[in-house]
Amino acid sequence: MLMQQLLNGVVVGSVYGLFALGFTLIFGVNHIMNMAHGAVFMWGAFAGLYAVILFDVPFPIALLIGAVGGGMVSVVLDWVAFRPLRKRGAPEFSSIVSSIGASLIMLSLAQQLTATRVMRFPFDIFPIVVFNFMGLRIQLLQLIIVGIVFLMVIGLLYYLYRTKYGRHIRSVAFSEQTSKLLGINPFAVNFQLFFLSGALAGIAGVLIGIVFNSVHFMMGEPLLLRAFVVIILGGLGSIPGALIAGLLIGIIQTLTVAYISAGMADALVFSLLFLVLLVRPTGLLGNSGAVARVTRI
Amino acid sequence: MKALVLEDLARNFGGLPAVDGIRLEAPAGRITGLIGPNGAGKTTVVNMITGLLKVTRGRIKFGDDDVTEADATQLARIGIARTFQNIRLISDATVLENVVAGFHRHETTGTFANLFGLPSAQRERRALEDKAMILLEQFGMTGLARHPAGGLSYGHQRRIEMMRALAMDPALLLLDEPVAGMNDSEAHSLADIFRNVARRGVAILLIEHNMRFVMSLCDHIYVLASGRLIAEGTPDAVGRDPRVIEAYLGA
Amino acid sequence: MMSFFHSYTPLFELALFNTLLAFSQYVVLRAGVFSLGTAAFAAIGAYVAAIVVTTYGLPFWIGIVLAIAIGAMVGALVAIPLARLRGVFQALATLALVQIVLSITLNWVDVTNGALGINSIPKTVGLVGLLIAVAIVTYFMAAIGSSSIGRAFDVIREDETVAVSLGISVVKHHFIAFVLSGAIAGLAGALHSYNSYSITPNEYGFNMLVIVLAMVVLGGRVSIWGPIVGAVILTVLPELLRGFQEYRTVVQGALLMASIIYLPRGVADTLIGAYRRRRIAEETSRMRETVTA
Repeated sequence: MLMQQLLNGVVVGSVYGLFALGFTLIFGVNHIMNMAHGAVFMWGAFAGLYAVILFDVPFPIALLIGAVGGGMVSVVLDWVAFRPLRKRGAPEFSSIVSSIGASLIMLSLAQQLTATRVMRFPFDIFPIVVFNFMGLRIQLLQLIIVGIVFLMVIGLLYYLYRTKYGRHIRSVAFSEQTSKLLGINPFAVNFQLFFLSGALAGIAGVLIGIVFNSVHFMMGEPLLLRAFVVIILGGLGSIPGALIAGLLIGIIQTLTVAYISAGMADALVFSLLFLVLLVRPTGLLGNSGAVARVTRI
Repeated sequence: MKALVLEDLARNFGGLPAVDGIRLEAPAGRITGLIGPNGAGKTTVVNMITGLLKVTRGRIKFGDDDVTEADATQLARIGIARTFQNIRLISDATVLENVVAGFHRHETTGTFANLFGLPSAQRERRALEDKAMILLEQFGMTGLARHPAGGLSYGHQRRIEMMRALAMDPALLLLDEPVAGMNDSEAHSLADIFRNVARRGVAILLIEHNMRFVMSLCDHIYVLASGRLIAEGTPDAVGRDPRVIEAYLGA
Repeated sequence: MMSFFHSYTPLFELALFNTLLAFSQYVVLRAGVFSLGTAAFAAIGAYVAAIVVTTYGLPFWIGIVLAIAIGAMVGALVAIPLARLRGVFQALATLALVQIVLSITLNWVDVTNGALGINSIPKTVGLVGLLIAVAIVTYFMAAIGSSSIGRAFDVIREDETVAVSLGISVVKHHFIAFVLSGAIAGLAGALHSYNSYSITPNEYGFNMLVIVLAMVVLGGRVSIWGPIVGAVILTVLPELLRGFQEYRTVVQGALLMASIIYLPRGVADTLIGAYRRRRIAEETSRMRETVTA
C-alpha cells in the first residue's frame, strides 16, 4: 500500500516538477515571478484537448500540440505583459502584477470558451495497460509520464548546457548588459526562454488532463500554488532543485491524502513552504544569486 | 568629538582581496582624504565603515567603541553619516521631505504618538521642517523646497544628499565623491561648507577622485591603490610621492 | 434620491469594505513590504467575529475588538520570522499564509463549519457603521503617513540602503506595517461578517488577494487616496460592465496590466504628482513675472 502510494506520488510529483521547471527557468533568467504560468499550462492542456476532440489526433501528437500551444501562449504573454516592463527596467513587483492581470484575462477567455464546463479527453486516448510488479499496480501511462518528464529534463539540461542557444540563455541570466555587449540578442533569448517554459507547461497540462481525466479553466491554479512551494523548496532558479522538490511535494501530498486527510494536504504543503522560507530561503539547491536577493545589500 | 580609526581593515570578494589591510585615522574636527584611482577599493572602505559590508579582517573603532560588528542602523544612530557616490534620493519626494528624512535619529516622538497622530507628532514634524529650511537656506535652495528632488539638476541633487547627511548632525561624515560632476565654482562653495562642518568638531572622511579638490581641502591624505595603502601624509608630501604619481598616471 | 440611494446601498457597502482591505494592502506596500497576507488577516477577522457572536452569543462590538486585536497579533507573529525576507520571498511566504488559513477554515469543521461557512450571523453593521470605520482608518492612515513612521516607510520603500544609513530600523517599521495591515484587515473581515449574514472560506482566497492587490496598484501606493480611488474603481467597474458580464474579468485583468505598464504609480499618485508639478510651474512663472516687473 505504501509502495503504491509512493509510486503515485512520484508520478504526480514528476509532473509538478515539469510545471515548476518552466516557472523556475524564467525566474532564473529574468527574475520574473510568472503568475500566469498556471494559465499557460491550462491553455496548453486546452490545445492538446481540442486537437484530440476536433481532429482525433493520437496521444503523442496531442502532447506535441500541447507543447507548441503552451509555448506560443507563453511567448505572447512575454510580449504583452513583460517586455514593456523590461524595457523600462521596472521592479520585480511590476511583473508580478502584470502577470496576474494577464492570468485573469487568459482564465476568463478559457472560461467563456468552455462555458465553465469540465472537459475530458476521450477514454481511448491512452490504452489502459496495467502491469503487476512485486504486488504494485503500475499503469503504462504512469511509466510513460515519468519517462517523458525525465526525457524533458535531460533535454532541457542538454539544451542549456551543451548548445549555443543555451549558452546565450545562461549568459543573459548572468548579466543582460554584458550579453548585449557580446552581441547576444536578448529578444531571441527571451523568445526561446518563454517558448521552452510554455512548452514544458503545455506538456504538463496535457499529462495532468489525462491523468486526472479533467480539463477546465481553473486547472492551473492548484499547480501554480504548488509550484511556488516546489521552487522555493528546490531553490529559486535551480533546475535539478525543481525536479527533486517536485517529486518530494508530490510524494508528501499523496501520502498525506492517503494516510491523514485530503484537507490536510494543502495545509501541510504550505506550512512546509513557510518553514523553508524561514529556515533556508535559498532552498535545498539554491544558488548564491538567490541569496543576494534575500539580503539585497 | 570622536575619531574614526581603522586597523588592518580587509575585505575579500570571492576570495580576492578588494581591500587588503588598511590602517587609517580620521580625527575629529579635521578633513581627512582618502584618494586613489578607480577600483582602488575606496567605496568598499566606506561600505565597511557604514556597516553595509561585513569586514573580512581588522577592526573599526569610533571614539572609544569598537564598532566592527555593528549594523548599519546602529552606526547611523551613533552619528555616522554618509553621502552616496551614485546619488540616492527619494526622487518622487520633495527636497524638503528628503532633508527631513535625515533627522530620523533625532526624532523623539514615541511610536504611539505617531500612530495616533497626536499633537506631539505634528509639532515634531513642523519643527523638523523648520530645521530643514535652515539647512536649505545655507545651501541656497529655499526656493526649491517643494520641488520633487528627482527633477532637479545633478548639482542640486548632490546638495540635497549633503543636507540630508548634515541633518543627522553626525560625529563622522563620510563623503563619497561629493563633487563628482560639479564645476569648480560649485565645488568651491561646497568646500567652504565642509570646512565649517569640520570646525564644529565633526570628523570628515573625504573620498575623492579629484586630486585638486582633495589637495586644497584635506589636512591629511591616505592614498589607496589596488586595495592597499601606498602613501599617506600632508597634501604636499603625498602630491610629490612618486608612488602616488605612478598609481595615478599608470606606469 | 432616497430610492437611488437604497438600491445602491449594497454597492456602497462593498466599496467601503474594499477600501478597508485596500488600506490593509496599502500600508504594507507603502513600507516596501510585498505582503499578500491581507486576505488571510481578513479571513481571521471574519471568522473571529462570526464565532464570537454565533457560538458564544457575545455582543458584536466585542467581536470587532477581538478581530482587530487578533488580526494585529497574527500580523506581528508573521512579521517576526519574515523580517529576513524581501520581495518575492515575502510575497510567497504571505501567499502561503493565505493558503494555510484557507485550509484551516475549510477543514477545521468543528469551529468554522467547513466549506459551508458560518450562516445566519445577525446583521449589526450597516452602511453607517462601515462609513465610520473607513473614516477612522483613513484618519489613522493620514496621521501615520505624515508622521515619522510614514516618512520612514517612504525611505525604506524607495531605498533600503539609504534608510539604514539614516538610522531607520527596517525591521521595526516592517513590523509596524504588518501589525497595521493585520489590524485593518481584521476589522474589515469582522465588519463584513456583521454586514453580510454569512461567510464562506473561499471568499478569502486567491481571488481576494488578487483583487485587493489590483486596487492598490491601480490607485497608488504612496498617497492615502490611492487605496480609496482603487477600491472605488474596482468596485464600481463591474457594475458598469454589467451588460458585458462575461468580459468583466477580462477588463479587470487588462486594467491591471495597463495600469502597471502605463501608469506604474497608480491613478491617484500620478494625478497628485501632475497637480504638484503644475502648481510649481505656476509659482515659478509668477516669481519670474514679479522679478521682471
